[in-house]
Amino acid sequence: MLRPSLPAVRAAAVAVALAAPVCLFSSDALAQAQIQAQSPAQGTASLVLTFHGLKAGGGAVMASLAGSPDAFEGKAPAAAQGMVAVAGDTVTITFSGLAPGRYAVRAFHDLDGDGKLGLNPFGVPTEPYAFSNNARGSMGPPSWDAAAFDVKDGDNAQTIEID
Amino acid sequence: MHRRRLLQGLSAGVMASVATPELARARAQLEQAAAAGLDWRLALADLDADVPRTPMRRISGHAPSGLAGSLYRNGPGKFHRPGGSAGHWFDGDGLMRAFRIEDGQATLEARFIDTPKRRADTAAGAVVTVGFGTPARPGAIVRSADDANAANISVIPVGGELWALWEAGSPTVVNAGDLSTKGIKTLRPDLAHMPFLAHPRPDPGGDIWNLGVSGQKAVVWRVGRDGALRSASLVDLPMASYIHDFSATTRHLVVVLQPWVQDRNFQTYADSMTWRPELGAKVLVLDKTDLSRRRVYDLPAFFAFHYGAAWEEADGTIRFDGCLTTDPSFAIETGRTIINGIWSPEAAVTLTMFALHPDGRAVIEPTGVAAEFPRTDGRMSGAPRRYTIHATAVGGSPLFHGLAVHDWKTGRSDRYDFGPAHLVEEAVFVPRPGGAAELDGWLIQPSVNLRAKATELHVFKALHVAEGPICTWRADRALPVSLHGAFVPA
Repeated sequence: MLRPSLPAVRAAAVAVALAAPVCLFSSDALAQAQIQAQSPAQGTASLVLTFHGLKAGGGAVMASLAGSPDAFEGKAPAAAQGMVAVAGDTVTITFSGLAPGRYAVRAFHDLDGDGKLGLNPFGVPTEPYAFSNNARGSMGPPSWDAAAFDVKDGDNAQTIEID
Repeated sequence: MHRRRLLQGLSAGVMASVATPELARARAQLEQAAAAGLDWRLALADLDADVPRTPMRRISGHAPSGLAGSLYRNGPGKFHRPGGSAGHWFDGDGLMRAFRIEDGQATLEARFIDTPKRRADTAAGAVVTVGFGTPARPGAIVRSADDANAANISVIPVGGELWALWEAGSPTVVNAGDLSTKGIKTLRPDLAHMPFLAHPRPDPGGDIWNLGVSGQKAVVWRVGRDGALRSASLVDLPMASYIHDFSATTRHLVVVLQPWVQDRNFQTYADSMTWRPELGAKVLVLDKTDLSRRRVYDLPAFFAFHYGAAWEEADGTIRFDGCLTTDPSFAIETGRTIINGIWSPEAAVTLTMFALHPDGRAVIEPTGVAAEFPRTDGRMSGAPRRYTIHATAVGGSPLFHGLAVHDWKTGRSDRYDFGPAHLVEEAVFVPRPGGAAELDGWLIQPSVNLRAKATELHVFKALHVAEGPICTWRADRALPVSLHGAFVPA
């Protein structure tokens, strides 16, 4: 019998890809980002997020900036949230007043303008989504380690492919 | 050379265990077939490139007048890549074939379906995308099930196009003219990437019913003949069973739940399932007009991929047939080994009649006839019928060597056995223009002729199978065997 040796079970296993429900975003923190870039305005750093590759016009890109693994997983408040209307294939969102440190971004293209990441009845996203470092999970979000990056004093930038 | 490799395969797969008379017989059959120059692996070999439309050569008989149109067939066609291969027959790239019959002539063409999975695997030089029995490899990008969608099980004509179907993601739209891929079919934006089984059931009224399954929930799809979504509703299932096919009467959906159940998250679909015969099997019957009206029947454990169309008798008894075996070993093991040239004899798959009685009793009645790929006269779908068409005749290799029509009224099996040189595919019924009676028409069935090393297309009179093919065309090459097809009249 050629059954392969059994790899480690992952929380978002791919069995899910084929049949079981999956929830990529464990809370609605991202979905609540309905206002223009809202920054804490207490630090000395700024971050420009550039989203490339938007195929579908219209709607808005909504981004959530997490300053901790818990925030990235939606278990703690985001450091900042932003939203920008989509026209063309590239948009930017700028956060300023950030404390230098390690951050990660979750973003989605809100095609239908309802302010929420669309999920089909089995919990799979129906709208494009992306993460900082262009990190990808396999049928689930990537880890904090894969998506996190340094924000230093002054100007910082991240380019993210979405769609 | 072939013989030696076959025996190596046999020793790896079988002879490590205790020899039994069955295994000895299988070994003898393999030796015999190998000595005769028949290598079954030809029927499961990779196709490396698309095949342009090419005439087939008529080698016997004549095409009946009135037989004109295209037989579209889908099934996995490429399994191996240098950096790593598919781990299961069901994870090969979807390959659409078209046999076109016109003026007594036939042509054959084949084109791979351009899925995100095939693109990702091609770019990686390895099968990196997770599947039914293939674990993900580094480089896989699976954002939703449609990134893993192999579009490789079946094909149905919808609204002038073809839908290539998988079972855990969306249909893939294919151009019926040149077999080019148009892309994923999203039936409604909020239902993107939902599962859609490979065996939809047409209604006599023209709508197509289907299921999509996720654990203990299913979506019930109702789609118009034009491809527009009529409705999509969620229903709860009694068990998180593997559901490949279901059945339907005019009034009811009939969903068989076998005790191969998803009970853990795992890298591959097959590894997320556990065979739990102690649970038995269940049959869920849903009223098409009100899905909350349901009934559940209990049966002993069995495993099946495919069922025939159901019907309802005057007293309310629902009848349908299926191809039943004892356990999911084909799905778990054989489907993995055969694409690597290793096969050992399998448990019998037997044509079996189900009866669901109004008093709640459920009964299964095996016929003893080896059967897979059941088909019926589609004009009868959901209404009482007499016949089931199926592949039959096993031995010496995977797959089947013959064709049969089972008559449920007399119990008689009208069969034709091509012998070990042919591995047959599913046969499809084509009505005779102007005819209306059940099975008034032809069966068309491809086979891989292992001796000639070529794909053939055979035409039978549907009610005279034992007389053998009335016309056979041969292609200039062998294509890997396909799974399911549909005929579109000219």
